[in-house]
Amino acid sequence: MSSSGLNGTPIKLKGVTKRFGTHTAVSSLDLEIPKGSVYGLLGPNGSGKTTTLRIMMGILLPDEGEVELLGGAPGVQQNDRVGYLPEERGVYRKMKVRDLLVFLGEIRGLGRGEAQKRAMDWLKRLDLAEWAEKRTQDLSKGMQQKVQFIGTVLHEPEILILDEPFSGLDPINQEVLEGIVREFQARGTTILFSTHLMDHAERLCERVCLISKAKKVLDSDLKQLKRRERKGLVAVEFTGDDSWLRGPEVTEILEVENGIHLVLKEGADHQGILRRGVDAGVRIDRFDLVEPRLHEIFVRHAGEPDNGGPLGSTGETSGKRGVR
Amino acid sequence: MRIVLAVIRREYLQRVKSKWFLVSTLAAPAFLIASMVIPILYETGQEENRRNLALVDETGVLADRVGPRLEEAGYNVEVAPAGSEDSLKAQALDGELGGFLVLGTDALASGHLTFYGSQGPGPIRGMTIRGVVVQSALEARIAETGSEVDLDALFQGGSMDLQILEEGAGGATEDEPAFVGVFIGSMLLYMVVLMYAAAVMRAALEEKTGRIVEILISSIRPWQLMLGKIVGVGSVGLTQLAVWILCGTLALTLGVPAAMASRPDLIDPEAISQALPNAGLVTLFFLLFLGGYFLYAAVYSAVGAMCSTEEEAQQAQFPVVIFLIAPVLFLMPVMENPGAPFSVIMSMIPFFSPVLLYARAGAGTVPFWQIGASLTLLYLSVWGVAWVAGRIYRVGILMQGKRPTLPELWRWVRET
Repeated sequence: MSSSGLNGTPIKLKGVTKRFGTHTAVSSLDLEIPKGSVYGLLGPNGSGKTTTLRIMMGILLPDEGEVELLGGAPGVQQNDRVGYLPEERGVYRKMKVRDLLVFLGEIRGLGRGEAQKRAMDWLKRLDLAEWAEKRTQDLSKGMQQKVQFIGTVLHEPEILILDEPFSGLDPINQEVLEGIVREFQARGTTILFSTHLMDHAERLCERVCLISKAKKVLDSDLKQLKRRERKGLVAVEFTGDDSWLRGPEVTEILEVENGIHLVLKEGADHQGILRRGVDAGVRIDRFDLVEPRLHEIFVRHAGEPDNGGPLGSTGETSGKRGVR
Repeated sequence: MRIVLAVIRREYLQRVKSKWFLVSTLAAPAFLIASMVIPILYETGQEENRRNLALVDETGVLADRVGPRLEEAGYNVEVAPAGSEDSLKAQALDGELGGFLVLGTDALASGHLTFYGSQGPGPIRGMTIRGVVVQSALEARIAETGSEVDLDALFQGGSMDLQILEEGAGGATEDEPAFVGVFIGSMLLYMVVLMYAAAVMRAALEEKTGRIVEILISSIRPWQLMLGKIVGVGSVGLTQLAVWILCGTLALTLGVPAAMASRPDLIDPEAISQALPNAGLVTLFFLLFLGGYFLYAAVYSAVGAMCSTEEEAQQAQFPVVIFLIAPVLFLMPVMENPGAPFSVIMSMIPFFSPVLLYARAGAGTVPFWQIGASLTLLYLSVWGVAWVAGRIYRVGILMQGKRPTLPELWRWVRET
């Protein structure tokens, strides 16, 4: 059990490249997932997230580079220590829910009795107990997804690798799932999940890695990342004349719901603006450096116009109108 | 091993619990039993009197021979004097008699007779009655010459003993082969291998079309999944065969005596026992079934794994079906000449041997070493084919989209 703890990084990728024909899906990617962390793999559709996770699981072999999972080459041997929820997740449609879960537990090394017990506990927890004896094809898509999630964690793995775990769930169930992820986090489970939904990543992740067009763009602690990215946006609320807002530091003035956002020139200091306001005698109720939302960071780094990804054009600021 | 067992159990239970299995397993024997039982019920119920026959013999010599023969065939025969036709007609119309036969003076010369009844005797009974009269007439005529003839044996088509000559040995005497039984056995082998091996193809597709494979493949090695599915489906096949054999045995031990009691003219117990395979052939049947099943199941699972949809798989399996059908085309020539070099060679080729070795072994004497060689080749090639199929399966099971070309397949096999 301790081999994963040797260096504290149960998942390691070094210079990993994967090509399909002429298309490069992952390009010399380095990645280290610290033990016990919640790690978000972010990126637009088609950026190579799923391929990366498949390489980690040993389902795909990289063309170049090295992969290490729990101190060894990834494969079936780590079966009982890893829980993997693939993006393409189906069920045996003719099987009863509980039988399916017991089967999934069994092939991951659980005894039949233990698998039965855990399956029922989980089904109760996720409000699916009354469906235990129903065929999986009678379940709604969201319910099927919950069953698949149970199948992934039934054997209580040390590492959870979840590919787009939130897509397809309604907000209530998304929250339930978030709660369970936090619970595993508290137990010390290393959790890596991919998503293109920034809200979840923002709430859950300690670290994020952003990949775009097969390449890593960012890989950082989330708090540090936000601090690093926050320069340049100031939220202001005031009463009085607004001419003090204009100055050499400010490139854009945006009207938002409860006030005004100032976009600063790169490297510009906000102190000058504040001084102008005081000198002008306006009443300033708020003058605040805004933490950028992960969404904005994402768009800033992955959403260039030529990206073509669905998120390239739906930035946070798109709903706001310049007042200049 | 535990993982393979879990896969086998899942595969087996899912299939055995399905309605399709219940219907297909029970429908065949139910149909067979119904086709035996219904005529018997019909017979023993309302038609008892149809077997009461009266006999008016105008020749004066045939009644003694026709009467006992008809009794043997299950009729109650009453010999009536000439001139009693009117009262017999009344009885026939009452339903007391099934009818009466009048053997005219020309019966001895031409076998002609007249049947009187409220309805005809039906084709099979008519044939029996005519046969009895013809045989009796011949017997009477031959008796006039004073010769001794076993007409019963002659009329059953005679018999032939086989003396197989072997160099240096005394030779063995054996019964004439039962063509019908061997033919049915070979066809059954062909059908069950085709049925269950093709089911493996659909089973291999199930994980792909259901998008389950990626969930499994992180926990199961591809060969474990493939082996589990093949053994699981094969167990379903054995279960079905067992049910059928049980039904067949029941039908033979209970049904045949009952049928004979009511219609001895329909059933010839000797023909049935001749058509039944002996213990050696039954053993060979199962050895060939297992070998043939595993061989074709391995190929079929590879075919299933390399396709993405059911339609695609139906097309891709075509070359495999040709391999399965070929031995059926050679079945008659091989049964005619079980010892010919062509037959020997064909029965050695693993893809053909399940059907053709059985046909040869049933139709004549096959030297023991040839059976051994053929079975060895079959099981060795199961090993080899499973190895190749396993490699195709391993790559194919994760592929989506276009079916691979032959060079691509070859690369899958070579890659480690």
